[in-house]
Amino acid sequence: MAAINWKKISAVGIILLILILVPMFVNLGTGIMNQLVTLFMYILLAQSWNLLGGYTGQINLGIAAFFGCSVMVTHFTWVAGMPIIISILAGSLSTIIFAVIIGIPTLRLKGMYFAVGTLALTQALQVIMQNIFTRSISAPGEYVHSYNIVTRYYLGLGMVALVMVAIYFVRWSKLGLAFTSIRDDEQAAQVTGVNTFKYKVISLLISAFIAGLAGGLYAYFRLYFYYTSDIFGHSWTFSSIMAVIVGGSGTLLGPVLGAIFLVILGYIFSLTLGQANLIVFGFLFIIVMLFMPQGLMGGINLFRAWLLQRKKPNTLEKNPGI
Amino acid sequence: MGNVLQVLFVGIIIGALYGLVALGFGLIMGVMKFINIAQGSFIILGGFVCYWIVTLWHLDPYFSIPLTMLAMFIVGLLLYRLLFSPLLKYPKAEMRLDKSLLMTFGVVWILDNTEILFWTPNSRSVITSYGYGTVKVLGAALSYTGLIGMGLAILAAAVLHLILTRTYFGKHVRAATEDAGAASLSGVNVQRTYLISCGIAISLAGLAGTVIVTSYSVTPGGGLSWLLMAMATVVLAGAGNMNYMIPAGIILGVLQSASTLFINPAYQQPIALIIFLLIIMFRPQGLFSKR
Repeated sequence: MAAINWKKISAVGIILLILILVPMFVNLGTGIMNQLVTLFMYILLAQSWNLLGGYTGQINLGIAAFFGCSVMVTHFTWVAGMPIIISILAGSLSTIIFAVIIGIPTLRLKGMYFAVGTLALTQALQVIMQNIFTRSISAPGEYVHSYNIVTRYYLGLGMVALVMVAIYFVRWSKLGLAFTSIRDDEQAAQVTGVNTFKYKVISLLISAFIAGLAGGLYAYFRLYFYYTSDIFGHSWTFSSIMAVIVGGSGTLLGPVLGAIFLVILGYIFSLTLGQANLIVFGFLFIIVMLFMPQGLMGGINLFRAWLLQRKKPNTLEKNPGI
Repeated sequence: MGNVLQVLFVGIIIGALYGLVALGFGLIMGVMKFINIAQGSFIILGGFVCYWIVTLWHLDPYFSIPLTMLAMFIVGLLLYRLLFSPLLKYPKAEMRLDKSLLMTFGVVWILDNTEILFWTPNSRSVITSYGYGTVKVLGAALSYTGLIGMGLAILAAAVLHLILTRTYFGKHVRAATEDAGAASLSGVNVQRTYLISCGIAISLAGLAGTVIVTSYSVTPGGGLSWLLMAMATVVLAGAGNMNYMIPAGIILGVLQSASTLFINPAYQQPIALIIFLLIIMFRPQGLFSKR
């Protein structure tokens, strides 16, 4: 690990302090607070996808399955009278069951099997849930009575901070090196002695746990949801993939940037375009995939290199690797 | 006994349709090593094209097949030109596969939402004068539309087999499948071969859409469940094993249909998922591979 970068740490600290202090003293209004909690949910989902897709190189098309499963489990344990933290943990742990069911057989094989298997898992869970729960699910009255958006906000903020720190340390540990080696060249990693299957499963389990945290936040945030098929809907998968790809996959801050971008854009587009905003997102996703494979983070890096080149023209020539 | 026969025949009919759905998916996967997650959505699009041709021009749905297939062929060419050919710049096959997965997932999103925007999320189907007619075979009632669909699926598989084995173009396709670099060195225009096979694959989706819109119904967003069946069929047949798509589809169809004797018919997709998982656990090369 590189030497401690005080500039970065103080920047992160200041941002965190602002995020903690502002809702304490300023009343932002329910609308903005709702958007912020949604943003935290998207950041969690995007980080979850990024750990598996960006660092380990395994495409997961079924994050909605993990998310929805955690929403259901969290909701029912919470309504049964457990404290929320324990319910969220139970929900996140329940996702691990599905991660094992789908991961152990499919991650052994290369190619499409994992992606298609997770997609199939989502479809299957949608059908099962539609048949079991035909009506909307809602929490009892006293939960609605004691609803307070500020606690949701702090819970979400805490989860995001924890997950980001955890991913930062995982990324620069032996585990993270194994993940990136699998992404870069699986065969070479295997030859060098990395047990690729084991590390892929570990990555999937951590990723599923984070998606489960997002689901727990959703269950705490929304006391009722109309159709159970909604929480297993593919839009959750699509949004998290989109946030990662737009922000820059394989980076720590990329998913955060992408999620912010997604929430702001979603807010603007859904006001002006109505139903068509989802199509715009689809086109944006494909355009970014085609022309900006590094995403926003890649753009920032290019901009930085350009600035550096303007300031000190000689440094780049000596070190073309930047 | 009659019940069992009925279930068996229904399974064979729907299984042939699964085979047809899998043909296009398998062609793109085998030839170009791209995964087209949007194949199901293209099938739904084909169904809508057929629906609108029938509704606006009052053609018989089966006579509209050439038109539907032509329209979908053009869509396939566009798909290759706009999305797949830029992916060829990635040197490694795994990378292309991953990128194509993500990109076509975006296409699913666009197609589904565009269809919902234009044509509402209602399900549509083409009803013909003979649509409800049935024929009795050994005491089992089979609908005409289902039988025609089965015939079309087997015909499409046979024609595709003949194209791949008997024509010059088929030779090019097989060469590009084996080793694109070597094929290109020996004078095969790989880009053009890819382009046309992508067109054929999507026009097969148009044919499948026609069969689905006549004997079942199409719903925007229903594409992924057809894709799931296609993928289970491909895994059952063994990747790239084009000749066994229809038999593998029939096995899947009969298994699913037989399961309705014991459990709620709504749980067809979980059963396909279970079959998929069992196959890749115990025989990942597919049922029909000799390896």
